[in-house]
This record gives sequence, structure tokens and C-alpha cells, in this order.
Amino acid sequence: MSTYVYGIIAGERADLPEHLSGVGENPLRVLRAGALAAVVSDAPEGLRPKRRELLAHQNVLAEVGAEGCVLPMRFGSVAPDDTSVTEVLAERAGHYEERLRALDGRVEYNVKANHVEEAVLHHVMASNPEVRALAEANRKSGGGSYDDKIRLGEMVAGAVRAQESQDGAVVQRALEPAADAVSVGPESTGWLANVSFLVERDAAGTFMAAVDRVREDMPHLEVRLNGPLPPYSFVEPGPAEPAGTTAGGADAGAG
Amino acid sequence: MTVVPAQQSGGGGGSSGLYDVLELVLDRGLVIDAFVRVSLVGIEILKIDVRVVVASVDTYLRFAEACNRLDLESGPRKDPGLPDLVGEMTESGARGKSKGALSGAAETISDAFQQARGEGSDGEKQSRPRARKTTASRRKEEQE
Repeated sequence: MSTYVYGIIAGERADLPEHLSGVGENPLRVLRAGALAAVVSDAPEGLRPKRRELLAHQNVLAEVGAEGCVLPMRFGSVAPDDTSVTEVLAERAGHYEERLRALDGRVEYNVKANHVEEAVLHHVMASNPEVRALAEANRKSGGGSYDDKIRLGEMVAGAVRAQESQDGAVVQRALEPAADAVSVGPESTGWLANVSFLVERDAAGTFMAAVDRVREDMPHLEVRLNGPLPPYSFVEPGPAEPAGTTAGGADAGAG
Repeated sequence: MTVVPAQQSGGGGGSSGLYDVLELVLDRGLVIDAFVRVSLVGIEILKIDVRVVVASVDTYLRFAEACNRLDLESGPRKDPGLPDLVGEMTESGARGKSKGALSGAAETISDAFQQARGEGSDGEKQSRPRARKTTASRRKEEQE
């Protein structure tokens, strides 16, 4: 029976929420190796990325993460057996212990923003004489020909994109000071900003206040905030992470 | 004493928005070479770049239509500038909530997601129409 791995925690923690079940509704187990432990369950046969399973993965990590630091695995990590899990923990113990220290007391908040369509179109029209002239000409000729519409639409789409990257940068800059680290999320999911912030649990109120200010200052945006989440985007130090933010693990975060 | 703030999800509260954290669960998190990863076939469409969707004829036509309908009260030659605009935006924001800009890509993901969930969701509703949805209705679904 192969083993599904949810995340890595400190070995002294024995506080698994008992009511939780994992993927395939399998019961959770904890595998210990030295100072580390892995939260696992049996892996169901033919596991697929279905809503129920994604939710199970996320729920287990949210609950485990609420009690203390967890290094979340990406969805769908399956080890051949329990022994290979404990072997990996032992092999890379130093690295995982360092990450657990660095992320202790910190959670991830993910911020996504997009434009309110009517507002951004209004802005594009108002600030771009060329677009306005073309729209005006089209309107006068009863909507314009197909080609006219395409030309206008293409021009508008270009201006909207420019506005998107501008507003995306503004959102990120506005929230950065309230976070310990920043990770730009996967692109291509339909957002002008998709950014994860590593925030000290105790400073979450400050961060949320900063988000509220963004909402007030930029009413032409829809801003969605998700968290606290396990630190999915911060388990591995990477290029997206500003130098010297979490790597030390010292209490150098926002006070 | 540590006060853990309530779970924030999306713009309007409600249950955890799996849709919003989906890509983090699928695309971030620890990867260990020694472990196999479950195949994500059927959900790869998540990777489609939004630009592909934006640069579609459909989008151009939609934008052109919207611009033709848009009434710039301040007149064709006067640029109200962003500060003036903000007041109007608040108002139009409330009215326009149901269609977020560039929602096409998001719908693509939503569709892929529903495909993925439809495969084995015995207990769930199967008769969900696959037509394009507004952002608002999609969000409602997520929160079910």
C-alpha cells in the first residue's frame, strides 16, 4: 500500500486532529523520524485531482497548520511505503528542520485582484483619446463594421493589459511592507495580481488592515484575500523570495 | 496571547474558497523527488495563459460593444483623470460586480475544474450547465 504525504511537522507534535480524514477518506497517521514527523494516510487506488480530494488535502493541512508549523506538500505526493517517507525525513532532516524554524509562527495569505470591467473600460476610454475617437466613430456608424470593432477591441484589450500590470504592481507594493516575504503566484489564472505574502500570525491584523486600505484606495479593483493558509509558497527558498527575509528564521519580521 | 484571525476567504466571506487556493495546492508546496506525483491530467488547462484568452476575437468584440455602450458623461474631449473617476467607479463597481474584467480565463479554469470534479463526484449535482457563467454565480457555487 503506497503512502500519501500531506506535510512535514516537528516530531514532538502529537496533536493530530482526530476527526480529520484524508484523501479517499482514509484515516491520518503520523510517521516519526528523529526530530521530524510526516502527516500521512494510505493512498487510495487511482487517486485523481478531484474536488473532494483537493479539499481533503487542503483541509488536513489547514487543521494541522492551525496548531503549529507545517511544511505542506504539493497535492498528490505519494511515497511507495511508510519506510521511504521516514528515510527521506532522515536524509534531509537538517533542511526540513531549518524550514520549520524559519516558518514557525508564520502563515500565507494569498491576494488576488482583478478589474471591475466597467470601471477599467471607463478609465481606458477616458485616458486614451485614440480609443475614444475610434469608439465615437464606431458609434456614429451604428456600431461600426466587424473590422472596426476588432480594431477597437484589440486597442482596448492592449490598454486594459497595460492598466492591469500597473495596478498589479501597485497592489503588491502596497502590501509588501506588511509581510515578511512575498511570492508571486502562478500567472495565467485570470488575475492582474496573484501574490502570496508570508505574514507573522501575530501581525495578521496589520496585514488585513493593509488589504482593506487597498480596497478603499482602489475601488475599481476586486480584491480577494485567502488565508491564513499553510505556507505553500514559502516551503522552499526560491528566487521569488526577497533575499534575507525568512532564511534566518530569527524574529526579524514585522513587529 | 495569540489571537488567530478568522479565515478570510474571497471578497465576501463564506466558506473556504477552494477555487482561489487551488493553484497553490496544485502548483506550490513541497516536492520530494523520491515520491511519485499523482497525474494531473484533466487539470492541466490551468496553465493556459490569460493573454491567450484576452487576445481572442470574442474578447475584442465584447470590449468594442462595451465601449460603444459606455457613456462618458464628461464628454468626448474631456479626460476626467483618475481622481474624478474614482467616485464614478465606486458606483459602477457595484453595478458591474457580476462581470469581473477578463473573466474568460477564470471561466476556463472553472470549467476544467468542474470537469475534474465531475468525473467521480457521485454525490454531487451532475446537471450543471456548462455555459459561460458570471463571476458572481461561479462564486456562489464555490461556496456551496
